Amino acid sequence: MTGDGDRGRPKKKLKNSAKASHFVEYKELDYAEDFDEETGDRDGEAKKRDFTKLELKLDHSNRPLWACSDGRIFLETFSPLYKQAYDFLIAIAEPVCRPESMHEYNLTPHSLYAAVSVGLETETIVNVLNKLSKTKLPKEMIDFIHGSTANYGKVKLVLKKNRYFIESPFPEVLKKLLKDDVINKARISSEENRAGEAFSISKAPGEINTHSGLLDGVDLAAVAEEKEIHSFEVDPSQVESVKQRCLPNALNYPMLEEYDFRNDTVNPDLNMELKPQAQPRPYQEKSLSKMFGNGRARSGIIVLPCGAGKSLVGVSAACRIKKSCLCLATNAVSVDQWAFQFKLWSTIRDDQICRFTSDNKEKFRGNTGVVVTTYNMVAFGGKRSEDSEKIIEEIRNREWGLLLMDEVHVVPAHMFRKVISITKSHCKLGLTATLVREDERITDLNFLIGPKLYEANWLDLVKGGFIANVQCAEVWCPMTKEFFAEYLKKENSKKKQALYVMNPNKFRACEFLIRFHEQQRGDKIIVFADNLFALTAYAMRLRKPMIYGATSHQERTRILEAFKHSPDVNTIFLSKVGDNSIDIPEANVIIQISSHAGSRRQEAQRLGRILRAKGRPQDRMAGGKEEYNAFFYSLVSTDTQEMYYSTKRQQFLIDQGYSFKVITSLPPLDSGPELSLYHLNEQLDLLNKVLSAGDDAVGLEQLEEDADDIALLKARRTVGSMSALSGASGMVYMEYNTGHGKKKVAKIKPKDPSKRHSLFKKRFG
Amino acid sequence: MVNAIKGIFISCDVQMAQLIVHMNASLPASHKFIVHVLDNTHLFVQPHAAEMIRAGISNFRDQNSYEKPT
Repeated sequence: MTGDGDRGRPKKKLKNSAKASHFVEYKELDYAEDFDEETGDRDGEAKKRDFTKLELKLDHSNRPLWACSDGRIFLETFSPLYKQAYDFLIAIAEPVCRPESMHEYNLTPHSLYAAVSVGLETETIVNVLNKLSKTKLPKEMIDFIHGSTANYGKVKLVLKKNRYFIESPFPEVLKKLLKDDVINKARISSEENRAGEAFSISKAPGEINTHSGLLDGVDLAAVAEEKEIHSFEVDPSQVESVKQRCLPNALNYPMLEEYDFRNDTVNPDLNMELKPQAQPRPYQEKSLSKMFGNGRARSGIIVLPCGAGKSLVGVSAACRIKKSCLCLATNAVSVDQWAFQFKLWSTIRDDQICRFTSDNKEKFRGNTGVVVTTYNMVAFGGKRSEDSEKIIEEIRNREWGLLLMDEVHVVPAHMFRKVISITKSHCKLGLTATLVREDERITDLNFLIGPKLYEANWLDLVKGGFIANVQCAEVWCPMTKEFFAEYLKKENSKKKQALYVMNPNKFRACEFLIRFHEQQRGDKIIVFADNLFALTAYAMRLRKPMIYGATSHQERTRILEAFKHSPDVNTIFLSKVGDNSIDIPEANVIIQISSHAGSRRQEAQRLGRILRAKGRPQDRMAGGKEEYNAFFYSLVSTDTQEMYYSTKRQQFLIDQGYSFKVITSLPPLDSGPELSLYHLNEQLDLLNKVLSAGDDAVGLEQLEEDADDIALLKARRTVGSMSALSGASGMVYMEYNTGHGKKKVAKIKPKDPSKRHSLFKKRFG
Repeated sequence: MVNAIKGIFISCDVQMAQLIVHMNASLPASHKFIVHVLDNTHLFVQPHAAEMIRAGISNFRDQNSYEKPT
């Protein structure tokens, strides 16, 4: 079970694979070693999918889940025990796919690590799983759970007075760890035990675990007793590599990070409480209870959909710990939003909260407080102004009670490392909506921050009326004959995107949808287009306002204000700039005409723009007046690459249980010249425009498939250069653009370190 | 005098017709297989081309459809 445990296991598996031709070669399976590799994958596959040997329990109909020997677990959501079973499963297993009535989960070493770190014990996991399963638990699964959890929770990483210690009640475990080179090097031997074998010993009261709400009859209480704790100190700069060495795929003694904030007398308390009107919703409570399960604070990640109130979770966590808190956001706009949220939900005084961005350097006052800043500001490696150097020094020297990290999925791993190595924090909380990255670097977060503590089920939140109920639709627009002929030509390969985006049928469908929603329903519509050429062409022809990278701050504000308040402006066109940062709660319809290749995250983030719950709660519930009150249309030109990307992009949302309805008859066949581009000569005119435009103006830069963030950053850079071309470069939203001369140049983009010249690698680390 | 040519009559949608025309255009003159383009959705081609057209179309479709990796 050691080896490269997690990587060896297939992440996602083909569900109900019907066609033999779809069988795919699996890499080695952790607990399927008895398969003869030689017999061919197909045999192994068929054997693995053969579950006839599982024994059904007599009262199986009362139990909610199926546990298969390959680590997959299927949960029936219509079971009366669903709620309890869901809470349990989300703690021990990774959700793979969560449609309406059947969920699929996967047991992985990492997910079990997360389970142990929230205080579940091996026996409990096996017992509860056995109680819930319709079948007798396969022996392989029990062995796997034992194998993966046996060593968990034995070692703890503790920060005391700005020094890191590794603690364990078992000296032999520590000795074993010290045999490892990396860890041995990281150790700081104190004077008195130079012998190298002895550990400092202290007495610590054993913890009392009380977990309620799991299942009746499951007794989780551990006996409190005095335990001897052995510990040794490690070098703060090496903490990350030590942690990594301890993960399941190396030494397999994953470390727990807990912070006993109530008994921390060294760091001064921060006097802040949640205001009485801040009522955490049930799922927010639940995620917090995972974090503070045993009266201590655990590090980890909480995953909640966009618009479900992540900031309240963050603020509540800070209010419970009541120590200095460092809050990291992605850009200056969200720094302001976070500062606002802190003031809105908690009783913190204005002088206790300070924002630290390149234009807004507020000084620390007092010895505790909340500091809100961006990842870039902390991780920036170049020369700083004197003011910010002072503040950074302050951040570095301080011992933080809580490190709150917003949108953890967007930050490249190397930047994270830097941030985490600079700041010393007792407890780290990461918040995100979409824990997917196309470059699969998500697993890095496991050791950089901690295990995933809680992940909400989108559909449950929709049912509860906490987020909007969105109807997702994919509108298939056939290419017209002329556009398709050009699309196929080799010499137009760079214009393919422009050609399928500008497809007249798509344009007509878009116009039809805008009219329908504006006139029939009085909705507020956002149209997204990544392709600037298309964005301008659509917006001009339809006479709607648009915002893209080069739009100045004033104009953006003006357009957004008009969109929010004026009854005349009901539709705006947005480029990529609108994906994350722009908050438009009024909008309830999204029409997507072009997108960033196959990025699943972009799709989810765009959907997030309309997820904020609207209208009265009783109307939103299933069977209410309006079952759907938000609409997400993705316009796709059939028979083009777009079909491929579109399906790929939807995967994340499909895994969250959303289904996409396919619409083929838009605009309706009887629609005539009232929609534009009805006549062939108009269409040919448009085609000529597309063809005569320069390659760089029309095509988005060619990106390798889904470099995700890195690619998105690159793409944004191109937006900048476009603006320079048009002579309007006013990137006000880019916080580093402060006119500090040299500083700007060095800071502009965190580059992918692998592409950096070796001369600069050292400097940027 | 009436000339009779044996061939295959293809009926398909507008886009696929364009694809077939495109395949035909990209071949050297001696390999051209379309006998006559009847209208937007109907073609008349030489009998030996059937397999090639099928393969070409299925290849094109594969490129445009995404399969969830397992």
